[in-house]
Amino acid sequence: MRIVIAEDAAVIRAGLTEILTDRGHDIVAAVGDASALLAAVAAHEPDVAIVDVRMPPDHTDEGLRAAIAIRRAHPRVGILVFSQYVETRYAADLLRMRSGGVGYLLKDRVANVAEFDDAITRVAAGGTALDPEVVAGLLTATRHAAALDVLTPREHDVLALMAEGRSNGAIADRFFVSERAVEKHISNIFSKLGLPPSDSDHRRVLAVLAFLGER
Amino acid sequence: MTEPAAPPLRRVIEAPFTRRAWAELGHTLASLPLAFGAVAFFVPMLENGIFWAISADVMRWFGAVARFLARELLGEDIPAPSPARPLNLFKVATPDAAAAIRLFEAAQAAGGKARVWESKPGVTVKRLPQERVAELAAEAGIAITAIRPQNAFNSWMGARTLDPVAWRARAYFALKLPLAVVSLNVIAGCWLGGVFFLTFPAWRTLGLNGAFAASLSGSFTFLPLGVVLLLAGPWLTHGLTETDRWLMRGLLGPVSRTERIRALEQSRARAVDDSAARLRGIERDLHDGTQAQLVALAMKLGLAREKLQDAGGVDLARVTQLIEDAHRGALEAITDLRILARGIHPPVLDNGLADALATLANRSAVPVELVTDIPERPSAAIETIAYFSAAELLANVARHSGARHATLEAVHVPGLLRVRVTDDGAGGAHPAPNGGLRGLAERVRTVDGRIGIDSPHGGPTTVTVELPSHA
Repeated sequence: MRIVIAEDAAVIRAGLTEILTDRGHDIVAAVGDASALLAAVAAHEPDVAIVDVRMPPDHTDEGLRAAIAIRRAHPRVGILVFSQYVETRYAADLLRMRSGGVGYLLKDRVANVAEFDDAITRVAAGGTALDPEVVAGLLTATRHAAALDVLTPREHDVLALMAEGRSNGAIADRFFVSERAVEKHISNIFSKLGLPPSDSDHRRVLAVLAFLGER
Repeated sequence: MTEPAAPPLRRVIEAPFTRRAWAELGHTLASLPLAFGAVAFFVPMLENGIFWAISADVMRWFGAVARFLARELLGEDIPAPSPARPLNLFKVATPDAAAAIRLFEAAQAAGGKARVWESKPGVTVKRLPQERVAELAAEAGIAITAIRPQNAFNSWMGARTLDPVAWRARAYFALKLPLAVVSLNVIAGCWLGGVFFLTFPAWRTLGLNGAFAASLSGSFTFLPLGVVLLLAGPWLTHGLTETDRWLMRGLLGPVSRTERIRALEQSRARAVDDSAARLRGIERDLHDGTQAQLVALAMKLGLAREKLQDAGGVDLARVTQLIEDAHRGALEAITDLRILARGIHPPVLDNGLADALATLANRSAVPVELVTDIPERPSAAIETIAYFSAAELLANVARHSGARHATLEAVHVPGLLRVRVTDDGAGGAHPAPNGGLRGLAERVRTVDGRIGIDSPHGGPTTVTVELPSHA
């Protein structure tokens, strides 16, 4: 996969490049600020751009704004925003774009190389990758929090993993159950929450996120 | 450390020989000619308003001299009143009466004084700078048809004629003069009279006994009178000086309680901003430094673990390299964290400012001579500010001055901690916007401290930070 990295801390930039190169990806550009990121994305049209939220000059949310700009100008470029903090509001900003191909992870997740690689692959394929912390925030902050009480604990866990953007297969592996069983849980969740049934994995994720994102 | 109080009798007997007695005597003698001068100056000036204005700045100066004497001789630190506020009188014409009233309200709300014209639409605004008036009008959406400042002479006069600080200084000296005359009589009576009666037999022998006729043996009965006068002198002087202190505090300090409250509000706002900025700085340092290093470290270890689980055989050289990198990263993170922690609060400060400054002086790139005299510890917040002031000043010496030698001095007398850094460098230090000196001045002002910079081009540079003992 062809990847652009935007991260102002040189140690992390170097580390990411090392890990992803090791995994066989092609790092076409590694830059330190938002304007260089926009230029690199325009020049290389990568599969995924990995974007730090806080970058020079103001160290606030330059990366996030650049991500939203890339989304508009280059809709086919997957965007994985990563940060040392997760802000539910940032997640909501990213998800508002709805079309998939976005991720938002804590930087800590990079330490688990296989999972991180998996998240990048999902984002590149037009899926989503949300940090468990973001999902936990969405689950407690949603105005449907009371509605979630009708779910069984297992359904609750499945909902959380689905919101992270995991496939049915990945969820099945996590709980050591069959994919059939997972599908059963998911259809239960949908009917309990009153969500319209949907066939594609990805559309289902978006429906869940839209539901949780309502305030 | 305070010495235990001496028994009362001993205190009475020792009174004439204490430093306080001499300081108060000195102050009484020194302030008498000042009071004479001030009264002789301002009384003829009471004639009319123009003279009031002319004499206002001089009266402020007399007040400043009196405060100086009080600080140097009595240790009575009276804060200076704020400088004369320009009247800033503007005549602002507006398109209609409604706009005039809106501008009037905006100016009042902004702390100015305003008056709406009666004949045509417009407002006279006082005590706000011209730009502020224009700003207020823009905010309220009022089109100003004309804005005309008062001419310079009228504005100068207006600020001084009724300058409350000058009037209070006149009142002070009007009261101080009789007080000083009484004090002089008391001093002359007690000290000179005391010495005279104590040595009365000698004067009698010389025939200089004046009206006090007595036989030689009778002349010795005057001796106790001399002792009583000498012992009473310091106490009477002390009482009169206390009265003077009370007058000075009331009449030579900041004008009103509101002014003091405003100053406190400002210093509180500065303190809050300062600590918020400090916290933000610490967060930034953690985010960009240690946190980033630890993330990179975790990445390396994550990759190393993957390599060790590699089904196709372990590449030991690669894993070793990753772990070595991670190890180095961990050490760097530890160092950074230590520097950061010390920047928040240097542990050596717990042993007292003198120890902390000694560490600081030792660590300086430029040789530093350290002089400390801190018999009593100031409060912790003051120690911290003093420490970081010294650190900033020494860093400036090393970074900018090109000095070969510097002196760091810290002296604590009751009520006042003074930190002074002197260097033999190039001079020309000044508080640039967003510079270290400006930040330092801001921080010092949060506790009502003062900073003085004396740095002519070509050097030497002396920066003095004065802090109250307790924040």
